[in-house]
Amino acid sequence: MQFLLMIYSNESRWTKMTQAEREQGVAAYSAYTEALKKAGVLAGANRLQPTSAATTVRIANGKSQVLNGPYADAKEQLGGYYMIDVPDLDAALSWAARCPGASYGAIEVRPIWAM
Amino acid sequence: MQYLLLMYQNETAMRGLPQDRARQVHGAYTAYVDALKKAGVLVANNGLQPTSAAATVRAPAGKAMVLNGPFAETKEQLAGYFLIEVPDLDAALFWAEHNPSASHGAVEVRPVWA
Repeated sequence: MQFLLMIYSNESRWTKMTQAEREQGVAAYSAYTEALKKAGVLAGANRLQPTSAATTVRIANGKSQVLNGPYADAKEQLGGYYMIDVPDLDAALSWAARCPGASYGAIEVRPIWAM
Repeated sequence: MQYLLLMYQNETAMRGLPQDRARQVHGAYTAYVDALKKAGVLVANNGLQPTSAAATVRAPAGKAMVLNGPFAETKEQLAGYFLIEVPDLDAALFWAEHNPSASHGAVEVRPVWA
């Protein structure tokens, strides 16, 4: 069963980090990605550019409205995701808890619609 | 360059659609997926189960806390995503505007970290 793990954290944290802290952060994610691969559960992953690079599009009365910024302003922002393939929700939750983002933000776990 | 198109919709309203309207919406998505494939820009796409099936995990100081529900309560909810490979933001916005979700919700366009 596939689950999307969405990483929400305060994105300004990254800009305030020292080079050494960033390297540590990147290493923690590399180790986590490696662990997912070794377990054979990784189905996809991406890091996203900050919400300052986001654009939100709506069509109202046939006219397109394009706004700079993310869909919703929140204290923490979507910074990336992992797609994993595991037997059940419990396994997905335990991988979510091991994600580096869980220690300084939140991981939303959403099951995928099976097509 | 890769862009993630995040589809936000009112999941209650979408679930409550009359059958003929639901079929229309489904057809619009099928046509959209076909158009992305024909244009050779589709990398991945997935629909998500409703936020009632979501759980949110935080593990400060190594201790995991699991809460039922999505990260944030919003008027519209993340219903799925498309990952596309296009030359620039304008092309990504073009595909966002043609996404059926733009007409019954919103589509957030986020560039992937290169």
